[in-house]
Amino acid sequence: MAIYTGIGKEKAKMSLPSWALAFANESGPTSTSDSALATVTSLASLDERVLVEQAQAGSRPAFEELVRRYDRDVLRLALNLMKRTEDARDVYQEAFLKVYRNLHRFRFECSFYTWLYRIVTNVCLDHLRRRQARPEDQAPEMHSGQFEDGSSDFFERQREHRGTLDPERHLLGLEIKSRLAAAMELLSPRERIVFEMKHYQGLKLRAIGDALGTSEETVKNSLFRATRKLRNELGVLR
Amino acid sequence: MIPGDQNKPCAEIAPLLVFYVCDEVNDQERAAIERHLADCAACRAQLSEERDFQAAVVSLPRADEQADPSGILLSQCRSELAEKLDDFERPAAKAKVPAFAWLRGWMGLHPAWSAATLVLLGLVAGVQSTQWLAARNEAIAPDQAVNVRPNARLTDDQLSKMAVAGINFTPSPYSGSQNVRVRLSSEQPVELTGNVDDSNVRSVLTFVVKNGERFDSGLRLDCLDALKARAEDSEVRGALLSAARKDQNPAVRLKALEALRDAGVDSEVRQALLEALQHDSNPGVRVEAVNLLVRSLEAAPGESLAPQAPEVAGGPMVQASAGRTTFDGSMENVVRTLEELQRNDPSRYVRLRSAAALREISARSDQ
Repeated sequence: MAIYTGIGKEKAKMSLPSWALAFANESGPTSTSDSALATVTSLASLDERVLVEQAQAGSRPAFEELVRRYDRDVLRLALNLMKRTEDARDVYQEAFLKVYRNLHRFRFECSFYTWLYRIVTNVCLDHLRRRQARPEDQAPEMHSGQFEDGSSDFFERQREHRGTLDPERHLLGLEIKSRLAAAMELLSPRERIVFEMKHYQGLKLRAIGDALGTSEETVKNSLFRATRKLRNELGVLR
Repeated sequence: MIPGDQNKPCAEIAPLLVFYVCDEVNDQERAAIERHLADCAACRAQLSEERDFQAAVVSLPRADEQADPSGILLSQCRSELAEKLDDFERPAAKAKVPAFAWLRGWMGLHPAWSAATLVLLGLVAGVQSTQWLAARNEAIAPDQAVNVRPNARLTDDQLSKMAVAGINFTPSPYSGSQNVRVRLSSEQPVELTGNVDDSNVRSVLTFVVKNGERFDSGLRLDCLDALKARAEDSEVRGALLSAARKDQNPAVRLKALEALRDAGVDSEVRQALLEALQHDSNPGVRVEAVNLLVRSLEAAPGESLAPQAPEVAGGPMVQASAGRTTFDGSMENVVRTLEELQRNDPSRYVRLRSAAALREISARSDQ
């Protein structure tokens, strides 16, 4: 009866962002697969260090190489959090300009990924807060609460993308998804960002706290509240 | 199965299920949850719901997959960033140019200290520049005086037409006297600079004192101050006597009397004092006049009072040669005036002072 079988399988589809690996590396290996990732990350971080040092010395190509390495993840996070292309672009620009301006302050006390991630999440948080403070600015986002039959619809495209199961289950699934997507809007900026980082970026709560400059306990509370809000909105799933 | 009959009740386990599903519980919590779940169907059902929920969450379409499947947005972002960095680097190159950037930075960080420093700097600059300018004026004053001085001495006609636009007195560090700068607006503006010994400057000052009605009393007082040191000069003395008798302002009359006293009292001055005593409406002037008169009687060096009396009578030069006491008309006049004052003056002080002066004169004449 369960529509969603095997969370592991779903998770496997998601490509973990590079910084998720970096955080995993810093937080210590939590599973056997993490140790393999750690090796990759440490190799990457060697190159990264050279690049960062060159960028700190004023090399624009080195900085652009750093951008090219990580900006896909930055844009992805921005898009998923902001939901609007324009906002995601703004976050991208603002975050990397901040990195550029503050690169000289980076002292290799953490990995460059972690440092970058902190900046990006804080820029996202700022944008979400600003948007919340200006309700008139709430332009429609990419998803739609009441999906209609239309090829341009977010969930319709999703259906084509992922293939169909039996029509009844598919419809039920679509409804849940649409309600869930709408319910996401009820989360506070912090809850939203914690939820995103936990469930979509695959970060541990400790790493999320580190990125947001807050305690693991606070992050845990945010995640709990976010889950409760969404569950309440969805009601019974089956 | 009754919920809560395990080691931990459902109320404690249920909130942990959210974290259990996403692998955020510690070993202890995991063990407690799993023990509880083995026996509690309600919590197993909730766990199942949590799992479904998380599966639904994970299966939600991702905005990034929708918004930028071909990576066009990413390349747009990259080129925009490159432009921004270009803009950013341009002013960065210029940023080295501004002078005193460190100073401005420091001032920005320490507003209170900056203000104090600026005030101090202003103070020092003000004091220094005043001194420098004074010294400079002093140094060039003779030249300036020569340059601006009219070729001919100012005539009475010129003086009578002039209006004094301003007089500045600055103490001269070299001579004891004051430096005077006079701006006249006569037919053409004239500026005179020099000390009181300069004849034109003196002419102007005496003219002002003598023709008090045409000028401001403050200006007259200033002129008197400047002339005080030169009261022995006949022109100055004339002006002082005139002011002592005729000036409308009692302060000016008083000052003129003082200036005359300092110069030495002769019969003419004493006459002026007597006139003041008899006619001046201002008791302050009369008091000062009687004081000056008495003091003039005591003024001579203190060998004896006897030779003083003649001095009083006929002026220092006459008496010195005469060597004897002669109460001439003017001395009689003094006594008569004093007696009158002693009896009739409305000011008690003037009456007492007159009586004292009379006693002194009679004591002196007795000797």
